[in-house]
Parts: sequence; C-alpha cells; structure tokens
Amino acid sequence: MNETSAPEAPSGETQHRETQWPRWEVLKQDAPARPHQAVGSVHATDPEHALVTARTLFARRPSAVSMWVVPDHAILARTQEQDERGEPLPDTAEGEAQPYVVARKVNHKRSMTFVDVVGTVTATSPARALDLARATFPEPPALAWWVFPDAAVTRTDDTPETVESWFAPAKDKTYRQQSSYGVVGTHASERRGRRAAAPAGEQSGGEHD
Amino acid sequence: MIQDQILTETPEQIAAFEARIARGEKIEPGDWMPAEYRRQLIRMIGQHAHSEYVGMLPEGAWITRAPSLKRKMILIAKVQDEAGHGQYLYHAAETLGATREDMMDGLLTRRAKYSSIFNYPSLTWADVGMIGWLVDGAAIKNQTMLAGCSYGPYSRAMVRICSEETFHHKQGKEMILAYARGTATQRRMAQDALDRWWWPSLMMLGPHDADSTNSGVLTRWGVKLKSNDEVRQEFMDEHVPELLDAGLTIPDPDMIKDEAGHWRHGPIDWTEFWAVVKGERGLGAERLGARRAAHDDGAWVREAMEAHAARRVTAQAAD
Amino acid sequence: MTDTALTSSTLDAAQRDALIARLTALADDELILSHRDAEWVGHAPILEEDIALANIAQDELGHAGVWLSLRGDLDGSDPDTLAFRRDAGEYRSARLVELPRGDWAFTLVRQFLFDAYEAVLIDETCASTYAPLAEAARKIVREERFHLQHTALWVERLGLGTDESNRRSQAALDELWPHTPQLFAPVPGEESLVAAGIVPDLAGVQARWTPLVTAHLARSGLRVPATPSAPPAPRTEHTEHLAELLREMQEVARQEDPGTVW
Repeated sequence: MNETSAPEAPSGETQHRETQWPRWEVLKQDAPARPHQAVGSVHATDPEHALVTARTLFARRPSAVSMWVVPDHAILARTQEQDERGEPLPDTAEGEAQPYVVARKVNHKRSMTFVDVVGTVTATSPARALDLARATFPEPPALAWWVFPDAAVTRTDDTPETVESWFAPAKDKTYRQQSSYGVVGTHASERRGRRAAAPAGEQSGGEHD
Repeated sequence: MIQDQILTETPEQIAAFEARIARGEKIEPGDWMPAEYRRQLIRMIGQHAHSEYVGMLPEGAWITRAPSLKRKMILIAKVQDEAGHGQYLYHAAETLGATREDMMDGLLTRRAKYSSIFNYPSLTWADVGMIGWLVDGAAIKNQTMLAGCSYGPYSRAMVRICSEETFHHKQGKEMILAYARGTATQRRMAQDALDRWWWPSLMMLGPHDADSTNSGVLTRWGVKLKSNDEVRQEFMDEHVPELLDAGLTIPDPDMIKDEAGHWRHGPIDWTEFWAVVKGERGLGAERLGARRAAHDDGAWVREAMEAHAARRVTAQAAD
Repeated sequence: MTDTALTSSTLDAAQRDALIARLTALADDELILSHRDAEWVGHAPILEEDIALANIAQDELGHAGVWLSLRGDLDGSDPDTLAFRRDAGEYRSARLVELPRGDWAFTLVRQFLFDAYEAVLIDETCASTYAPLAEAARKIVREERFHLQHTALWVERLGLGTDESNRRSQAALDELWPHTPQLFAPVPGEESLVAAGIVPDLAGVQARWTPLVTAHLARSGLRVPATPSAPPAPRTEHTEHLAELLREMQEVARQEDPGTVW
C-alpha cells in the first residue's frame, strides 16, 4: 500500500524495548473553500489520539478549519514515475463497493503540502478506485495519487464549537508569527553585498500554513 | 542488501533519475532512486531530525527560569516548534523506509549523529537569545537551501520549517539587541554568550568544502545546492555587521573585511569541534542520557497506549 | 442584578479587593501549573507528547497573563512584577498545582482534574456582570474545551491500558484527590462578587465538576477516593514545594532591579 518499502541496512541490536505506534497521515483544510491537503504524519495509537496529536502538531499556526487522519496502511499511493516504469500495483482484494477519497499532486512547485483532495469515487478495491480516479480526474495530469477508503478517515467535527476550540485559538498567538516582530535590526535591503533575492529571514514574511 | 541493489542499478536508470532532478522534478516516495541516494537522505534527514530533538534541551532548560512572562511564552513556543520540526523530519525519513524505532535506537546508542552544536552548555539566560540569533540564523541558511532539494518529503518539511524558523531567529536577535543596550549585567551576559557561541555556529555549517566527504553525491543529486563555505560566507556577511552595530565584539581577532566587502573569519580551530563530536568535551553524554531516560521512563506509557488500542480493536472486531 | 455590565470604575471597594484576590488565585494556579508542565519539555515519553504538553503550558501561561492584566487594570500592578517579585507567602496558588510533576500519570491526572475545574468555572464566568472578565472568559473557554478533551483521553487510556498504568494512575488520583476541595473554596470577600454576579458560585461549580470527573474516572477504571471532610487550607498556606519552585522561576529576573526589562 503506502510506499515505504526498501529497508535500510540492518540496524544494530535494539537495546530498547520499543513500541512503534502506528502512523497516521494528516490532511488539513485551511479554509472552507480550500481542499484538504496532506501535511505530514503523526504516530498515535488510536484515531482520537491521532486527531488530537495532529491538531497539536499542525494547527499551531493558522489557519485550519478541519483536520483528517488516515492510517498509513489504508492508503494506496502511486506516482507518475511508477506508472512510467510499469511497476505493478500491490495486490488489493475485492470487496464491497465503498467510497474512496482521491487526492493528487499536480506540479513540482515548492510547497509545504503534498497531495490535495479532489473528490471521491466508489469502487470495490483500492486498485479499482485508482483506475476510476484517473478517469474521473484526468486534468491536469497527476504526478502522484492517493486513494483511501472514506471509512478509514477520522475527522474533526464540522461544528463551530470544534472550530472555535480546536483551531481558532491559534490565531491569537501572534508571538509565534515572525511578522509580529517586525524588522529586527537592519532590513535586508540595506545590507551591502546583497544579491537580488533577500535571504529567507526577511522574505518568508507572508508564508503561513 | 544495499550492495545487491547497487549491483543491479544500470547507468540508464541513474541517468533517467538524474535527468528528472535536472528538470526540477521532485522525487516522491515510491519513485525509483539509487540506493545511495536513499541511504544518504536517511542519514542526513535522520541527523537533522535528531538535531532538532536534542536541540530542545539546551533551551528547554531555561523555560522555567525565563525572566519575563513574554519571554517565557516565546521560549515555550520556540522549543515546541523544535519538537515539531524533529517530527516533520522523522516523517520525511520514514517515507524512505526508516522507522521511528530504528532512528531513536540509532540516536540513543550513538550510531546516529546530530549536530554537535547542541552539546554545548547553555550557561546563562542570554544564551537563549544568542542561540536564536546565531544557531537558528545558521540553520535558516541551511534550511532555505534545502527547501529546494530534490526529495519531495524533505523539501516540504524544509519549507514548513523555514516558515516557522524565522520567528526563532528574530526573537533571539531582538533579545540580544535589547540586552546589548540594556543594563551592565545584560550587556556582559550578551557579550559572554557571543564569545561562547560564535565559533560553534560557524563550525555548525559544516567542514570546509575541501574536507567535506559526503558533499559530492549530495550536490549531484540535488540535495545540497550550495557548499558549506558558500553558506558560511552568507552567514558571516549577514550577521557580523549587525552584531558589530549592536556594540558587541566578535571573538575573532583575525576577522577582516575584504575588498569586495565580505567578512572573512580567522582560522577555525576544528580540534574543539571534533572533541565535542566525539563526546570528549561538551554535554553529549548528558543530552543523550536525558533523552534515553525520557525514552526508558516513558516505556510504560507507550505500552499502556498500545494495550488500550489493541483492546479496542478486539472489542470492535467482536461486535 | 443589574443589566448594565460592571466596569472597573463601577465596582465598590470591597468588590475590587475581592476581585483582585480572585484574579490572583486564578493567575497563580495557571502560573504554577504551567511551570510544572514546562518541566516535561524534552522529557516526555514520545516526541508528540512533548509538543502537546508544551502546548498546554503555553496556554496556561497565556491565561495567567490575562488574569494578571485584568488585576493590573484594578490596582495598577505589573504582571511581571507580580510573577517574579512575590515570595511564596504572597502567592495564592492552590496546593494541587504546587505538587511536583511526578510521573506521566500524575501529571495527566492532575491536568485532567484541573482542566475540568477550569472548563466549568470559565464557562460560568462567561456570564460575568464584569465586562472584562466575561470577555476574557469567552476567549479562554474555547481552549479549555480542547484541553479537557485531550487530558480526558489520556486519563482513560492510562486508566484502562495496562496493570502498571492503572496502578500509577490510581496512586496519582489517591494523592491528588484530597487537594481538590481547595479549588472550590472561596477567597476572602468572594461572597460579594457572587452576589453581584461578577464570579460564579464555586459551590455550583463543584456541583457540576464532581459528577463530570467521577463519571470519567470510573469509566477509566479508577476508584475515586473519599473526599476529606476537613475544611481546605486557605490559599495563603502553601506546600513546601512552592518556595523551591519560585526560587528557580525567579532566579534570572531577580538578578536585576525590579522594573528591568528582560
């Protein structure tokens, strides 16, 4: 399923009895009109824990109105390069028809997020869902796909109360925003030996997630 | 085994891979990649993640002693960010097949490295500001460069980190500028912090290009887009003037400004650097000890969470 | 009860003094608890929880700042001076928050008990007739809902997880529970604030808090200890831990004269 194969060279003796918590991919919606976007993952033991952890990790800086978590094993991921190379899809079993969420990446632009959700298709397996997704969302050509059962998604409530308590408070914490510090010391443009581009220190002022 | 995989890699495959990078395409999880690319990235990203994780400690130690409510708040937010950055980076490494388990084990058994700058002690409150100015300042240079790297998950982690790191740098700079013009105690504290953190920050940007062993392949495959010395020069040119403007003295009697206006540092004494890396000096043992204790002390917590989840899954299956 | 919201200029002297005392108690609880939570940073069982606890510590610190600045509106005091220049004897924190952080179970069980108290208290404070307090409460209560969800989740998992986690959680609860009545004890003069609708009646808050927490604790496989019948200590009496905590907290600030900008 989710491509994390090709192991590293064997690790040394594990001296620490470890419990590896499952991994959940996190999708965040910045505003009501925007799609859910893959922002990273969290390790957690159950869906509620994953959601609470995702909020702590990814909603620190505004904005967000909704968050989803999906266990990584529920995702069928596929890249254009795998298609071109003809790598076979992993075996997926046929089952009952159910909705699959479809997400895609369409360009190589520098970004904080990976795939964007574009919609859902109904299919009897992840492989079929991927086929249907290709047919349903052909433009622009996708560089990467994710399909995963809608049933595997755990979501924050859409209620105003949840948005108020989960996401809104971060907006007031302006001390986390570099823009609230203004220009500290001299502005980049005043420094001698500057090239055309100012360093990221001054330039990323508008950047937010 | 990695050697087997390298034997099966054809020149055509490698050429196609390099062509993708030359076209500015991102390599994503699942894409074909040379085993060496994967290995180097896991090493590099892992080191980066461990640095953030261990890096929480020198500043985290001052949260409880921060001298104003505002500074305390800012410091908690900063250290929280560092934890978050570690998390984004562990995620990126995991997309390459590394596991959090293995990476933690690597850190705690000293197989894996992290930036040795975090083995220096944070002796005074002003260290917090100086770390923000210099260490985060150096990190930003590095991270900005890496945000353009060829591996998608690493690039994305870097973009996110860059957007958050700027505040770290600014808050440190703001603090030091205030103290450099503050009370006699504050001025002394700021100068003392600079005296101790200046050279480690320069060295943090990596060995001189001539001595950098990993750089060749990293540059060819679009992971490292600038050399260590290039980045170090950018760092000097940005920060020296402002430190001097603040009335502070750079602890480098051989530093000069050349004809082109670039600030040139004196010879770097790498022996101290290597001593700290090897753990002969600095708090490496203490840092790892703290992380190991947290890890061991937390085992029962992790087990409890697992047990609870397993019970729920069984209960649901039985329904 | 009056329809017109009260402001700092319409309070009478007794109300003003009592409100200052109440705001100080609120602030000190948050300040001290934030300190205990912050001690975990870099030492939590897993990276994600370092972030979570740092989040809680930050939020509490923010609340302390809000309460202290509301107090400053009444008596001209400076929040930093109050935080960093008062000795233990002048603090008004509850004993519950002063106790050392203990193990993870202790920290989370304490946090749960306190978060539930805050959630109910702040929720009722939204109706305060004193406008600045109502406004502050409305903002803070949003965060508290999330905190309570987070800590309730942890208490349940620790209570039901393994024998060891249950044992530790029970030990934590046994030690913490006797300190909870103090949260609901009024400060001197508080009756005049209740009468004017400025703060909620703590007996009412306790009446909502008790079934809320006991139900969740029971669901989590934990036995609620007996509540002590003796009246709780006043907030002027502290555990021996507070002085040491303040020594650390105030160490850097006290290197310079009061009023120095750090």
